[in-house]
Amino acid sequence: MNTRDLVLVSLFAAIIVALGLLPPITLGFIPVPITAQSLGVMLAGTILGARRGTLSVALVILLVIIGLPVLSGGRGGLAVFAGPTVGFLIGWLPAAFVTGYLSERFAAGRANGFAQLANLFIAAVAGGVVVLYACGIVGMMLVAGLPFMKALSGSLAFVPGDLIKAGVAALAARAVQAGYPLLPVRS
Amino acid sequence: MKSLHVEGNGLFHRLPIRAKLLLLAALGIGLFLTRDPRLLALGPALGALVWFTLGLPLREALGRLRPVFLTIVIVAAFSFLVNSKEEALLQLLRLTTLMLFAATVTATTTVSAFIEEITALARPFEKLGLVKADDIGLAFGLVVRFVPEVLSRYEAIREAHKARGIKLRPLTLIAPLIILTLREADQIAAAIDARGLRRH
Repeated sequence: MNTRDLVLVSLFAAIIVALGLLPPITLGFIPVPITAQSLGVMLAGTILGARRGTLSVALVILLVIIGLPVLSGGRGGLAVFAGPTVGFLIGWLPAAFVTGYLSERFAAGRANGFAQLANLFIAAVAGGVVVLYACGIVGMMLVAGLPFMKALSGSLAFVPGDLIKAGVAALAARAVQAGYPLLPVRS
Repeated sequence: MKSLHVEGNGLFHRLPIRAKLLLLAALGIGLFLTRDPRLLALGPALGALVWFTLGLPLREALGRLRPVFLTIVIVAAFSFLVNSKEEALLQLLRLTTLMLFAATVTATTTVSAFIEEITALARPFEKLGLVKADDIGLAFGLVVRFVPEVLSRYEAIREAHKARGIKLRPLTLIAPLIILTLREADQIAAAIDARGLRRH
């Protein structure tokens, strides 16, 4: 890994941490405020691609492990890993990877704006919702002993919010792609 | 950013970090080997004894655990309602125990000890060409250094919105925040290389 990639990974990890410290932002059309940290995971994949995106998320998780309060609400330390929702945190890794891989494959270097936007959205949903929830649900089954259907139904309430985040991530990733392209092209 | 380490000289402070991590892992496995609630009830009692005698002020000691404990209680309550009462109780006892001891390990271990341990654990992966172990410490430093920078950039963007009389929206915030931050990567990378910080 060259030094520039190392710096990009670190800067993006800093962005994810900072997103957890910002006050929740409200979207114009719905009254529910969104917390931006899980948005950061989708952004990492759609903007930096699979490898660097996953590494920056891994860096944030390592910062949690070493005892820095980097998660939203000032959470941090090993105690976070004792929570029943730990799968949603570990799941950040495959989520960023899948989002990044699909973005590289289908959205990098596309001239057609709308197709690129749609592909970025699909990539963010596939990683940041499908893969992330799969990990979270498996985590709840293992840690809390919940049966699959119960763990699934308990998580579904959060899906609409995360779909909105995927939309925000896709729009923001496209804006970054236009202003400062970083996504490697994968064929 | 303040770390969660707490000064002290108790038993847990003196244990080497690897021993603490191994004990924690063993505890994590051990807790799932028994289904006897009376035995498991010892866990939170012991954990609380250790945690609340570390020398943290009571408010801080409670405050640190609150977010994690809340998710544990919420999921246990959910499990109690839709699943089995026994499972809910077992989970509540196990996870509370684990939370208390995990928080203890975090509070009694310095950040630098953690970084050393992680670097040591990453060494074997160097041979596979996956990471350079010494880069991890550098990356930690960069993150801690740049979080305040990102936050001050957020302030600047917020001020700019205010000056123009428009509301702060996720899209008009996030894209400029990311572009402004990442654009500095080249300069920082050049500075790191110029100082020879990765010459290992």
